[in-house]
Amino acid sequence: MRSTRHVVIDEKDPELGHYSDPPLLVLASLSNGPKHGHAMIEDILRLCGTRLGPGTLYGAIARLERQGWIEPLPAEERRRPYRITTEGLRVLRARLATLQQFIKAGVGRLGAL
Amino acid sequence: MNVTLARLLTRLYPRAWRERYGAEFEALLVDGQGGLRASTDVVWSALCERMHPTQGGKMDRDPRSFGAIVRHPSALIPMAMSLIALMLVLGPIAIYGPPVREPDEGAMAHLWQILMAGQLPVLAFFAIKWLPRAPKSTLAVLALQAGAVLAAMAPVFYFNL
Repeated sequence: MRSTRHVVIDEKDPELGHYSDPPLLVLASLSNGPKHGHAMIEDILRLCGTRLGPGTLYGAIARLERQGWIEPLPAEERRRPYRITTEGLRVLRARLATLQQFIKAGVGRLGAL
Repeated sequence: MNVTLARLLTRLYPRAWRERYGAEFEALLVDGQGGLRASTDVVWSALCERMHPTQGGKMDRDPRSFGAIVRHPSALIPMAMSLIALMLVLGPIAIYGPPVREPDEGAMAHLWQILMAGQLPVLAFFAIKWLPRAPKSTLAVLALQAGAVLAAMAPVFYFNL
């Protein structure tokens, strides 16, 4: 999957490292119900303080849809909501489990300093 | 972001991408925050999309559109069979001239019959699968398939084979 980390905008502090995996952020945002683009941006901002740019968001949406991890719902006026698929949920769980292991190990190492 | 700028930025994306996501993306740009960061993000993403298009350089349009449905094997196979059947009739005519009707139909005639009859189950499968999902596009494809069948049958009746 194409990396789009260079175009992620962190509103809290651009100097600090921020989480920038747009596809994972989109999957996480859709895990509690269908959302259209604008709602996803706002939800991800609340979730981790990262504001995805519109191009970055749709880059992730297009690829997630191609992979069958999210699917479009009928458009509401010009906005189209998306929902996560069963396969997308499986992928999200697996990725979060890996991240959890990584965080645990990382925090453990920091604690040993 | 104002509508004109949103439209302009959306046009930076490849046509196939715009056909699928253009309207909703433009709506997102109009609803969202404008500014240099958002515009730069769109320009960069459009450039990336042009360099590394989603799914090998072409995006499916609406999966229920004529263009998408006609690409399914169950739509293409009957048309290919009709085309082969047509070539089986026209090929020998082009080489040897109009044939004379004989009691023994010959291998070519049997092959023609197999091709024409063999496509019927595929046609039925296609109609059963796609008519409920996308009636309009499916009818258009069925019309195309019927045209191919008629084209394959036309020389047989014309030459009274």
